[in-house]
Amino acid sequence: MDRIPILKMGPFLLVTIQVDMHDRLAMTLQDDLTSRIADTGARGVLIDISALEMVDSFIGRMIANIAGMARILDAHTVVTGMQPSVAITLVELGLSLPGVRTALNVERGMSLLQSFLDDSDPLVEEPSPVDEGAGAGPEE
Amino acid sequence: MESLLQRIVQTGAEVAIIDITGVPTVDTLVAQHLIKTVTAARLMGADCIISGIRPQIAATIVHLGVDLSNVDTKATLADAFRLALRRTGHSLGRTPTRSEG
Amino acid sequence: MRAPVPVLKSDELPIRSSSDVVVVRQLVRTRAIEAAFSLVDQTRIVTAASELARNTLEYGGGGRARIDVIREGVRTGLRITFEDKGPGIANLELALTDGYTTGRGLGLGLGGARRLMNDFQIESKPGEGTRVVVVRWH
Repeated sequence: MDRIPILKMGPFLLVTIQVDMHDRLAMTLQDDLTSRIADTGARGVLIDISALEMVDSFIGRMIANIAGMARILDAHTVVTGMQPSVAITLVELGLSLPGVRTALNVERGMSLLQSFLDDSDPLVEEPSPVDEGAGAGPEE
Repeated sequence: MESLLQRIVQTGAEVAIIDITGVPTVDTLVAQHLIKTVTAARLMGADCIISGIRPQIAATIVHLGVDLSNVDTKATLADAFRLALRRTGHSLGRTPTRSEG
Repeated sequence: MRAPVPVLKSDELPIRSSSDVVVVRQLVRTRAIEAAFSLVDQTRIVTAASELARNTLEYGGGGRARIDVIREGVRTGLRITFEDKGPGIANLELALTDGYTTGRGLGLGLGGARRLMNDFQIESKPGEGTRVVVVRWH
């Protein structure tokens, strides 16, 4: 059965969707990605949709599902390269993508995923600008 | 709307400032169009700031019951620019001139 | 609907599997391009067609789509008809509400298609199947 390839890039997984997916292929991708995140302990997933000329509610749900499952597995999801006509249609369709961050391109998306990694240390609280100096901060 | 979104893709702009100083009136359709543009840009991975909102327009928007709570708005283009710089991790500083040296 | 409008081109496609949904999408895209719709309009039309084709498959048990390029006066339009002989929809008003779904979907299919297209018409009776006709005009 045809599958969409998933690349591993350090702590991240990268998927580039370049075909008009039928529903079964989308479900397979969802399952494959979730398994790969679990197997590799990946901290982020980047889904590049710059080649997609249409995103309907099924694909939108697939993306939201991936983000949801990734989050449970402690990974962030970033979707990159959404085409303007796709974005406009999604807004009119009434589809939002909860839990999904977006970036203009793969490069930005990777930076974003990296910044999540850099920021993540749940035991330490970042001081807010207001009480800078008053609270405990991360050791430099 | 499409041309703004296309430009965002072409230039890789992370922030787009939509200045409506020259817009005489804003009705529900215009307001909804602005919200749609901002939402679409966000879906693509860019942020929008709407600037140039005169008090009368602000009043109209409130009166129409349009919800702009999810949209960044600034009164002046300068304020919007400053916010955009902060957003992208930049800041405006002064280089001392010779007389200040 | 109205009096029959001239049909410049017509295609009929079966919807019996998820790959058929892809075929419908692709032919709709082709016809939309041929009819000189803007890129955004093409995307709207293809997205609406995808939603409705999927409904025909998932809820209608399979059916068919007819894609017509039509002309009314000076304007050209793309009309797509989705038909199935499935169980039909008991409560149309409910079915058109965003978020309502009897399946695992998002419940945006019918309402979404209506928002994306200019004309939207649906006929459905329990036990008699469902027919959805949508048109996007230039």
